[in-house]
Amino acid sequence: MSSTYQWCARALRRQPLFPVWLVLVLALSGLYDEFGTGANFRNIAIQASPLIIAAVGATFVIMTGGIDLSVGAMLFLAAAIESSRAFVSAPAGVVFAAIAVTGLLMGLVNGVAIALTRVPALIVTLASMQVFRGAGGHITGQQNIDLPAHLRGIGTGSLLGVPAPVLLAAVTTLGGVLVFGRTVFGRYLQAIGSNRAAALNAGLPVRAVTIGAYALAGVLAALASLTQTARLGAVQPSIGDGYELTVITAVVLGGTSLFGGRGSITGTVLGALVLTTAQTGLVFSGASPYVFDIVRGGVLLVAVIAAGIRWRTLAQALRPAAAS
Amino acid sequence: MQVPTLVRYTAALAASALVLAGCGSSQQESGSDGSGKKVTIGVNFDLLNGIRQAEKSAIEKAATEAGYEVVFNVADKDPQKQSSQIQDLVQTRKVDALIVIAQDGQQIASSVSLAKARKVPFIAIDRAVADQQNITFQITGDPVADGKLAASEFIDAGKTKPLKVLELVGALTDQNAIGRRDGFNEAVKGDPNITVVSQVPTNWDPAQALDGTSNALQKNPDINAIFVPSDFLLPSVQSALKAAGRLAPIGDPEHVFLVTIDGDQNGCKAMKDKTLDADIATPVDDFGKQAISAITTALGGQGVSPQSVRTEGLSLDQANFATTSAQVWGCVVA
Repeated sequence: MSSTYQWCARALRRQPLFPVWLVLVLALSGLYDEFGTGANFRNIAIQASPLIIAAVGATFVIMTGGIDLSVGAMLFLAAAIESSRAFVSAPAGVVFAAIAVTGLLMGLVNGVAIALTRVPALIVTLASMQVFRGAGGHITGQQNIDLPAHLRGIGTGSLLGVPAPVLLAAVTTLGGVLVFGRTVFGRYLQAIGSNRAAALNAGLPVRAVTIGAYALAGVLAALASLTQTARLGAVQPSIGDGYELTVITAVVLGGTSLFGGRGSITGTVLGALVLTTAQTGLVFSGASPYVFDIVRGGVLLVAVIAAGIRWRTLAQALRPAAAS
Repeated sequence: MQVPTLVRYTAALAASALVLAGCGSSQQESGSDGSGKKVTIGVNFDLLNGIRQAEKSAIEKAATEAGYEVVFNVADKDPQKQSSQIQDLVQTRKVDALIVIAQDGQQIASSVSLAKARKVPFIAIDRAVADQQNITFQITGDPVADGKLAASEFIDAGKTKPLKVLELVGALTDQNAIGRRDGFNEAVKGDPNITVVSQVPTNWDPAQALDGTSNALQKNPDINAIFVPSDFLLPSVQSALKAAGRLAPIGDPEHVFLVTIDGDQNGCKAMKDKTLDADIATPVDDFGKQAISAITTALGGQGVSPQSVRTEGLSLDQANFATTSAQVWGCVVA
């Protein structure tokens, strides 16, 4: 009994959002027969995948104490380039590589501007958001463009029964966990986010790591774009509009501090799953369309408040009880 | 790691360029002939998408025919930015008239007042503005009527087979979205053959439309009709239907009855492909023609009457497609 409680308390300390998601899933499954089906869980996993991919990238940025408001615009610009005439008949592999490079370049623009100047990340990415969105609009002419069939597999195909977006999200998550927890780069990210001045004094490559975080976020935003656009089957001017808020909500909800230094990739994944599950639950509940906005705003509010009072501090309170 | 000063200044310059580039731009169109002062019209849109492009083209065409110049800019869905841009058009560019699609019908009031004070005719198109007293002319679609027209297609189809309808809703802050929703709901209310089983907000976001449709199909597998409030959400809906194995052409027993509004290229293509049952087309050309005509009248010192016009959409369905599609802007472009 005691060991079970300790295990639960330890798990809760590590991932306080997990029971929240579990309760949400169980409650919705109890309320609606169609919710607790394999097909619906598959549906939720597919829908959450682009968000997971983009949010894992954003976690690296936020861990440094930075922010990236250009995620949605990067999504759109990557999609616009994917739909451009140059790539209409190119093999899928070439297109995907080109889009990944595009994402890398967009991330580098942000990272270099932020790391090498004293301009706050908020301002730089606010500006680059408009630049990227404007460039995407210029490429597409603000028109809807159908995506060639051979580029849709990354969003609609599957491998051994696992939907391609879910597979990509899983690989991204695994990669993110490894980079975050098992590499020098990951440890530097935490050190920089915790105390940038101390990291500089200790001789850590602060600028290079910051640039790396934004570059990684750019690549993952491009990957999210590939999956999302493929699912939609078309590039539309409003793709990614306001997406940065959803991404940041997922990251902060997952326990990553907006001030940097603390957070986890698995928390971010859970944040994305909670958001997607809640969204699906709202459709199942037949709630008024106005309630959707209330819930979305409410979740964001909870995430921000949680960031303020620090999830982990709250979870630490369980420690004495577990030890007794 | 010491970064050379030159590199830092270059990076700072690049960041500044990004900021400046992001502050919005305007473009001069329809060049001057260089002799005499042409009438210049400031055109300010809330955003730029497929239908806005068509509206812009319609204005430019009518302006060119009237011998006017157009200065065009976009507010990127930001009411404050729109207000600043209009202020710039009136006070700095000194345009002779304004054509505006308001991001927010209430917040545009200060711009309307400014134009009135400077005696610059203010023409509102597509989206109604609250300050009706001080505008010169307004031409909009009739979203409630469009919603009712869409509903009439469902009611007709419901006579042969009862319909369980998924109703998608646009942005809840957009009066066009609300009008279309209200018109649709009012018309189908009480019809024994129509049951709205799910109402899903999309915020005019294709991804939300895709996910919302997928979720609704999961919850209600017996949905056999979908009301799509704008053509640009149609690809999302079709992707969701395809993923659920429900995308079938008209005539197939598995076909999901679909009606949209706008009449853009997506809609026309789907009509041609016989995957879309009906489309309520917005009379985009009328907006341009009547706006320019009102400017000509106002600049001539006369009052524009009527001051406000609401134009109903054109019903395009499979029965009249061959004869009517030429009048639909998206079919002409497609």
